[in-house]
Amino acid sequence: MSEAAMLSLSKSLGGRLAGNATLKAGLVLSGLILFLGFVAPFLDPVNPYTIHPSHALQAPNGQFLFGTDELGRDALALLLSGGFTTLIVALPAALLAFFIGVTYGFLSGLGPAWLDRLLMRLLDVVLALPSLIVLLFFAALVPQSNFNLILLLGLISWPSLARLVRNEVLAQRGRDFMLAARQSGASSAYLARVHLLRVIAPILVVNGTFMIGDSVLATSALSFLGLGVQPPQESWGSLLQGALDIAALDPWWLILPPGLLIFGALLAASLTGQGLLQIWGNKR
Amino acid sequence: MMKMILRRLASSCLSLFILVALVFFLAHLTPGGPAYSILGQKATPESVAQLNQRLGLDQPLLKQFGLWIWHLLHGELGYSYLLNRPVGQLLWVYERNTLIFYTVSIIISTALSIALGLIQGVWFGRWPAKLIGAFQLGFYALPPFFVAAMLILWFAVDVHWLPASGIIDLRDPHAGIASFAAHLVLPVTTVSLLTVSSLSRYFGEAVHEELGKDYVRTARAKGVSFASILFRHVMRNALRPLITILGLSFPYIFTGGVIVESVFNYPGLGWLMWRSALSQDYPILIAIVLVIGVLTVLGNLLADLVNGLLDPRASYE
Repeated sequence: MSEAAMLSLSKSLGGRLAGNATLKAGLVLSGLILFLGFVAPFLDPVNPYTIHPSHALQAPNGQFLFGTDELGRDALALLLSGGFTTLIVALPAALLAFFIGVTYGFLSGLGPAWLDRLLMRLLDVVLALPSLIVLLFFAALVPQSNFNLILLLGLISWPSLARLVRNEVLAQRGRDFMLAARQSGASSAYLARVHLLRVIAPILVVNGTFMIGDSVLATSALSFLGLGVQPPQESWGSLLQGALDIAALDPWWLILPPGLLIFGALLAASLTGQGLLQIWGNKR
Repeated sequence: MMKMILRRLASSCLSLFILVALVFFLAHLTPGGPAYSILGQKATPESVAQLNQRLGLDQPLLKQFGLWIWHLLHGELGYSYLLNRPVGQLLWVYERNTLIFYTVSIIISTALSIALGLIQGVWFGRWPAKLIGAFQLGFYALPPFFVAAMLILWFAVDVHWLPASGIIDLRDPHAGIASFAAHLVLPVTTVSLLTVSSLSRYFGEAVHEELGKDYVRTARAKGVSFASILFRHVMRNALRPLITILGLSFPYIFTGGVIVESVFNYPGLGWLMWRSALSQDYPILIAIVLVIGVLTVLGNLLADLVNGLLDPRASYE
């Protein structure tokens, strides 16, 4: 490759990445959240479960940088371990929902017409039930553990992706390259793997990113309602709930940080997704 | 038009049937089956067998399903052992609170969304629209419980302007309507902020898009005033997506409700759902899942019908 061609290629790729402020902000924020969730808890030597009764409910000070809660636990350590728990539930759950959604969408889009009609009708009804309501029902039903929580969130959060994938597969199915591939004897599985997956990859990546945000929100919401991560483990949602229980004492240092971190995680996913959408949208 | 209404009704009926079947299946997933969830987990085997016989639960599954629908049609939704009252009665009491809360919230949200959306559409790309855009992006990503927590912290704890939780019973002679309204302010503000952030964006985009269309240019060329174009023509077309979204978000506004109602301890349907989930009161959970599902299907149907009335073209789509 000539130098000029190299330069133009790196410019187009790097230029798109660097030129898009939304994507850059999203990636930086995502990196920060991932660092706080997966690295920082192991750098902080303070045990989040150690109780200091004589230092209960202290505002941030020299000894406790983020203050202490009503039991005298170090708020910073709780925040970091809470972040780890939130992400260790939310990320696998999003991954599970992603795989179910993609599989369901491909089955519906590539399968025979009767299967498509059946699967879509079922989807309509499933989508008619707000996911938080269904989540509450099942959260009451199954024994509470982080593993069950991941299964629950994963098994419930896929329907909107499934519809999107199915519509996209249907739209691509009639295009010339697909017909040509089918003419030359390609099976549905081969078509799905080699052709379709490549064409709709951008859409999958963008929506997968959005799903991570939704999953963090669902995990936090359930924990906030007392039906998610269970004590003694804490998550951002349960920390916020605990702080709100004693809201009358004005513990702003316990309410602001977990709330801002959930907001940060949602914003990170949303900005990254929007940014990717912008650069891929331009390419098309 | 008539044909479209009939088609939509038939399709909704089919959805409702699948929904009822799905909820019936859910009811059978509860530990010990419906009889246990009606009698409570401490029920003796004899009383369970007795109730199973009385309710027809010892019959084949298909016949059970038929009986269940029969009971539903007669408004028999089961019995809450926790609150010791028939579920149908309970639902109505709590639903009334939610209705008051959401009617107020939806009216305020829709009015604000239309106002903000108009500004955004007319001044597209200039600073008023950009300001509104920043508000929309910020609040779109804010979790409802965090918004609620901040409002409580500022207005209820720091400045003591408003009560943080609860509701005042209107039948209590000492609690005036002013106190009742004061208790509604923070929950309604929370829901409205979140709803407006997404609704106004859709409406603003629709207004902007409509303003660029040929019929607007033609009308201007004819000398029709801008106000007349905006309010008589553009509004009418731009409202269509807003109505669809309002119809679709009918249940989602409600799910936001579980969180908002639980934060503010507002005894509505969302609050009841939350408490029932915490105490595993299955008859209520099942009834609420059913009610929400039915409301959703009806919300979609209603949005389609209103759109059909606003724009006859929609009924042929």
